[in-house]
Amino acid sequence: MEKSKLRKISDAIWEIPKSGNMRVPARIYATEKLLDAILQDNGPQQAVNVAHLPGIVGYSLAMPDMHWGYGFPIGGVAAFDAQDGIISPGGVGYDINCGVRLMAGKLSRGQVQPKLSQLVDALFRAVPTGVGKGGDIKISREGLRKVTENGARWAVERGYGSESDLEYIEENGCIGIADSQAVSAQAWERGKKQLGTLGSGNHFLEIGYVAEIFDEEAARIMGLQKDQITVIIHCGSRGFGYQVCDDYLEIMDRTIAKYRIAVPDRQLACAPLKSAEGRAYLGAMGCAINYAFANRQIIAAQTSKVFKKVFGMSATDIGLRLIYEIAHNIAKFENHKVAGKMTKVCVHRKGATRAFGPGAQEIPEQFKHIGQPVLIPGDMGRYSYVLVGTEQAMAETFGSTCHGAGRALSRTKAKKAAHGRNIQNELLQSGIHVRSAGRRTLDEEIPEAYKDVSQVVEVCVAAGISKKVAKLRPLGCIKG
Amino acid sequence: MTNFTWLEEIDHTGDCGVCITAESEAQLFARAALAMMHIITDITCVSAQEKTLFSLEAADRAALLRKWLNQLNYYHITEEFLFCDFKIREIAETRLIGAALGEKIDTGKHQIFTEIKAVTYHELEIEQTSMGWSAQIIFDL
Repeated sequence: MEKSKLRKISDAIWEIPKSGNMRVPARIYATEKLLDAILQDNGPQQAVNVAHLPGIVGYSLAMPDMHWGYGFPIGGVAAFDAQDGIISPGGVGYDINCGVRLMAGKLSRGQVQPKLSQLVDALFRAVPTGVGKGGDIKISREGLRKVTENGARWAVERGYGSESDLEYIEENGCIGIADSQAVSAQAWERGKKQLGTLGSGNHFLEIGYVAEIFDEEAARIMGLQKDQITVIIHCGSRGFGYQVCDDYLEIMDRTIAKYRIAVPDRQLACAPLKSAEGRAYLGAMGCAINYAFANRQIIAAQTSKVFKKVFGMSATDIGLRLIYEIAHNIAKFENHKVAGKMTKVCVHRKGATRAFGPGAQEIPEQFKHIGQPVLIPGDMGRYSYVLVGTEQAMAETFGSTCHGAGRALSRTKAKKAAHGRNIQNELLQSGIHVRSAGRRTLDEEIPEAYKDVSQVVEVCVAAGISKKVAKLRPLGCIKG
Repeated sequence: MTNFTWLEEIDHTGDCGVCITAESEAQLFARAALAMMHIITDITCVSAQEKTLFSLEAADRAALLRKWLNQLNYYHITEEFLFCDFKIREIAETRLIGAALGEKIDTGKHQIFTEIKAVTYHELEIEQTSMGWSAQIIFDL
């Protein structure tokens, strides 16, 4: 897309005005420098395409980590009126409730570093990673149904973590819209062996430490201190979610004509929220959301177990505690101000994170006056950020912010850039221990394949939709 | 990605796409399956030991191509199986009968490069050209 088509709203916001059959304008959160990079692929056109969908309110939004996806752009946020809007599986993505969990322990970087190699090896053995790697959890179809109805609570009741974790997970680790009747036989089959597994691609488990604190009060309330050890878990609903998305894309592709909805990209197939197809997708998507909550809860418990074993300490002394867990591929009913009036909308966040501001009733009491914690992972070699949501995010972006660094290089270009290099050794030279199921994954995920996450975060801060709390640096990582 | 003259990789930022050409529609579907398996593994290491039959119906030709590839991927994931050869026995605009040949994954013999979440509808194109047939497919990795 040509830059001349965009109108500058502020130093951090650019607007693509309504044209043709767009129902609302599109808005991209970016500095001019970042925008130049964003305009290199089809992401902005995809934000325009989303603006065509029935019932969309406000703007078709794109966060600064946006890039070309399929259907919706990655980094896209769109809200649809609950009465006459639509729901689109492509607006959530295949990895339903892909998200991140941040934990922090009592150990310091100095205590962990001598055993880092051993710790990363042990985590790599304990947490199944990579393609088709099944988990240790053997579960029947009926058992899986209970997982999808109860989410993280299912895991807690089986000894994975504690009851107190649930308060610190988006939706308390279980969304109520789940309907197991809406899930296909293929989705059950695909999800059967993958509970408690990380998967492949950009999913990871990272050991890091708090490198810098920007907001002392918010950090204190979250329990974050400089040099403290942290764990980030990034994964989602695995094959179960992929199949749910795929099933409903096909259904909605077949049925879209009867609702007289025209879409500029077939991947935007959708159905009215109140239609039989829309309601069924909501139920099946809810099951996948809960599967992902249980998945991360199990992996977190496995991680704590490995720490205990490697350091020969009690769980209390290690003190790995959940700070917060958030989803970044999801659609949910929320109440937001639209044209000055509180309205129930279905917010689609595809590669975007909920970032509710202070006072929101959905966030734990502990965080009520600082806003919801948000974790923005960077690449393997640099850093990640802990942010909080703001009132401005509630007013402008349906309480949303970015979700990560966003890819700067395609997988092909990343592999070319990594050719002839030993990425694992390069990272080790910087003190970062990495284990991966496949060398190709490491090549595709090299640090320079991603934008510098600090640039992305600074846009969100400049736009007022997030505030910085802390910066984390990686020490070790396991990948699929 | 490969030396196949009929295959070109699309430089998609987040995922992976391919353009395929073929002389016939049946060959296009067989080649699309081969291209997908090539993303997943080194197909030269896979033996055509077992045959699996697929009989599929879809709304139109593009949907049929997507379904064919998604069903092969589903079988690969759930049965832990790899394919290296494909025979399209019957093909019409909305219907396909085909066979896929391959073997169970043997971790000592096969390297799995990546996981394909799904075959997307995004910019999915299939058309008859003056030279034969062509298709563009984007996979979500």
